Amino acid sequence: MELNDRITLSLPCKAEYVSVARLTVSGVAYRMGFDIDTVEDIKVAVSEVCSRLINVNGKSNGTYEILYEVCSDKLIVTFSSDIERAGCIFEDDEDGLGVSIIKAFMDEVEFCPESRDHILSMTKYIEEKS
Amino acid sequence: MSGELIVKSEYSDKDAKVFVSGEIDIYNAQQFKEKIYQIVENSTGDVSIDCSGLNYMDSTGLGVFVGALKKAKQDERDIHIFNIRDNIKKLFVITGLDKLFIIH
Repeated sequence: MELNDRITLSLPCKAEYVSVARLTVSGVAYRMGFDIDTVEDIKVAVSEVCSRLINVNGKSNGTYEILYEVCSDKLIVTFSSDIERAGCIFEDDEDGLGVSIIKAFMDEVEFCPESRDHILSMTKYIEEKS
Repeated sequence: MSGELIVKSEYSDKDAKVFVSGEIDIYNAQQFKEKIYQIVENSTGDVSIDCSGLNYMDSTGLGVFVGALKKAKQDERDIHIFNIRDNIKKLFVITGLDKLFIIH
């Protein structure tokens, strides 16, 4: 695996900026060569995590960072945040829809509830074109 | 690419038909919820939702669909979904919700 580029996005924990996270990952994933359907899947997975962070944060001020690591064979998306309870974002996800979607759409998902610097990391591999 | 959520409705006899376009996420899910719940309340028959203009939705929108269906089912009514894009239909399939809604 060769790490080519790192793109970092810092966003306020506000619903109106989730579309910015989606647009960014969409641009990055297209450039990497993911097909349209996969880009849509990655967008949803990113959006799910952003939404949970915003729900957990409530009305407090807070920010979160998304690190997009562009590798030759995969995209790694890592979330970190300074907000309280950031590591517990999926604890009270009553219907569990968000987690189900993230796990279905990404190849690898790693939850790190003890760390604010690394709340969740998820990876999508580029499929070899035959 | 338009992100603005637009919900239009029309009623015929007891049934309601809804046209949804734009994107549904955490930012406007509440707005979608208020509109779709009102449409379910204002009708007495089945509700048909045409999603041909819906470009994007995540679990926040799915939650609203489920809430609307629960409301409709209280009166033994159904929600029909038409013209849904494959990427959004996939959300219903992954979460098993495709078995609860009537997807055409």
